[in-house]
Amino acid sequence: MPTAGTPRSPSDGARRWCHQLRVLLAKDLRRAWRNPLPLLINLLIPLCITGLVGLAFGGKSDSGALGRIRFALVDEDKTILSDFLRGSANQREGGKYLDPVILERDEALRQINDNRISAVLIIPTNFTRNYFGGREVVSLELIKNPAQSIHPAVMEELLGALVTALNAIARNLQSEFPDWQRVFDGEGGYKQVAGLIERAGDKLKAAQKFINPPLIVYEKDAPAASAADALKAGAGAKNNTKKNDPGAGVFGFLLTGMAGMFLLFLASNAMTDLQREIRQHTFARYHTLHHQLAPFVAGKIAFTVLVLVLSSSFLLAGGGLIFQVEWRHPVVLAALALSYAFFAAGLMAVLVALIPDERKASALNTVVGMGLGLAGGCMFPPESLPVFLREQVTPWLPTYWFVATTRNLQYSAGEVAWLPALVKLVLLSAGLLALAAVLLRRRFRMGGRP
Amino acid sequence: MSLLRVQGLFKAFAAIRAVDSVSFEVRPGEIYGLLGPNGAGKTTTISMISGLLKPDAGEVIVASTPFWSDPQKAKRIMGVVPQELAIYEELTGRENLEFWGAMAGLSSGEARSRTTELLEALTLTDRAKDAVKTYSGGMKRRINLGCALLHRPKLLLLDEPTVGIDPQARLNILEFIRNLRASGTAILYTTHYLEEAELLCQRIGIIDHGRLLAEGSLKELQDRLGGDRLFVLEAELKETSPDSWDGFRQRFRVIQKTERQLVVSAIGPRDPSECLKDLLGLPVRVENVMLKRPSLNDVFLQLTGRELRE
Repeated sequence: MPTAGTPRSPSDGARRWCHQLRVLLAKDLRRAWRNPLPLLINLLIPLCITGLVGLAFGGKSDSGALGRIRFALVDEDKTILSDFLRGSANQREGGKYLDPVILERDEALRQINDNRISAVLIIPTNFTRNYFGGREVVSLELIKNPAQSIHPAVMEELLGALVTALNAIARNLQSEFPDWQRVFDGEGGYKQVAGLIERAGDKLKAAQKFINPPLIVYEKDAPAASAADALKAGAGAKNNTKKNDPGAGVFGFLLTGMAGMFLLFLASNAMTDLQREIRQHTFARYHTLHHQLAPFVAGKIAFTVLVLVLSSSFLLAGGGLIFQVEWRHPVVLAALALSYAFFAAGLMAVLVALIPDERKASALNTVVGMGLGLAGGCMFPPESLPVFLREQVTPWLPTYWFVATTRNLQYSAGEVAWLPALVKLVLLSAGLLALAAVLLRRRFRMGGRP
Repeated sequence: MSLLRVQGLFKAFAAIRAVDSVSFEVRPGEIYGLLGPNGAGKTTTISMISGLLKPDAGEVIVASTPFWSDPQKAKRIMGVVPQELAIYEELTGRENLEFWGAMAGLSSGEARSRTTELLEALTLTDRAKDAVKTYSGGMKRRINLGCALLHRPKLLLLDEPTVGIDPQARLNILEFIRNLRASGTAILYTTHYLEEAELLCQRIGIIDHGRLLAEGSLKELQDRLGGDRLFVLEAELKETSPDSWDGFRQRFRVIQKTERQLVVSAIGPRDPSECLKDLLGLPVRVENVMLKRPSLNDVFLQLTGRELRE
């Protein structure tokens, strides 16, 4: 006759405990394997979001840059200056990024309505005359495609730079403009043109000492770029990933955030399996065999941790392979992910212990997971959060400890203090698991009957 | 000596007395039926016996040891088949049995060989590798039963194990339970099916509103009605009462009276034909008189004033 759960000695008891735990784990893993949809959804959604958001910020070009901006140029002025502006738009460096098409206003507007171009730049009639005349404010017209976000914004910035340049020229060469106007009107001879060029050259030479070397310079120190910069940098940084900085890239930034949030959902799904077992009476059946329910509950927590470890490996290692993110500190990242897995399991165990109703617990777990994820900077850079949240709430959240530390590990050049985050996560996990044990013990004091 | 003895078991949920001073015992090789309608307190009684609920008062003694003095020892002796299917639908029949065998303390090898035995006995060998969710209701019930038998319990608690299955599947399960009894297992069997209790149980306890109203063998319970015959009189009885009939209460015991039907048993040893004549002579317009053997339903009717099927 077998003796269920009756240890003859402490070591015998421990052996039986381990055997039971192993069997319980194998059972749960087998069940999860046979019904993988809930897990798969929570694994694939973060990868899809990472891909989509990454592409939205990164465009589709092979160079990894924003991609060429296709826009319409409507020249209603039709002068030599407007010809010059039109022609320079796709020359040399401009040609790498800009793809202008010369169209009439009606056709340009039709194409922007069809979402075939990002913007329409219109050089209005009398633009040259008014510019050289200097008597009234001249304007260039930009119509942005409302269906797009990045390219029209870039066009607006570029146009701003062009206007600044034209203003600078107007201020420095104002006295020469009437002569230039006559030349553009076809009145000046070659001697007059030569004189104008010589005078313009002299003025530029005089200004050279103010321009070169520049008083203020901008240098980009790639490894020191912040995590949030990675998101702003888009896939341009992704392109550098392979060559210069393995940590840079919007995908790495997004992956850690998505992992931080969806690991909570996965923990909720795995831990609420305890409530499913109560509903399906298998928990009660276990209780008819064993007076102590601790092994069953411990088995469920172990299952949750194991699911999270496998899931974080899938998300971070698998996602890293998919999006070509080379993790700079894989061992520390693994340690952080493990401690975060324990935290997530502990948190969801507490919630499950507090809320006996399966559906209510599931709903609350989702809300808590989402709240912790959003406020902890999983979905958005913490810098984008409202001031109160960013300064008073976010630093206290375990999601932030995990996400911010993993991002810093990835994007910061110097030493990153990851140990405090790891210690905090470990201590919090231990506290939550202890609390869950007390709550579950109290809950099942009267037995495992649903 | 009894394997299970229940003494004055009491459990209340707020103001409702779910189980009220229930006492009975089950001996080795005996099937004791706890018969009662839904909500009578059968499942609560089994839950207290199996340790899922702690009784407010009373005692459960398993193999001469009070349950709560060593719950784990008592649980090793018991096998419990809950009313609801307590199995994993995603797992196969074999996996379910092996898992519950391991939980009952069997080694992997023991669990495997015992599973093979049980699959054979439950005639489920050919479907052993299929997920339980693909099984019919009867097959699921058999697996549910098998999961409680891996560790060869001496005492088996069966809580309505045939609910919701077809007659053929029910017969299979009843046959299996009979074989278990033949091997010496003590079985506590709750049901609200009269036929099952009549066919299967050596002794029957009738429970309603948490109270054990009567217990004994089928014969003993039938004898409570005054013999092995009942008379069913069909007549217009709306405007009349047996009390108004001269000496009727001295000659017959009224089991049930409705507007259309009167069920009675004769008091004392009387010839059935004499009783029939007596009934036909009543001052009512008699449409029909029948003679029948008393059933457990009649016992229940007499004890509670309503039919078990209501």
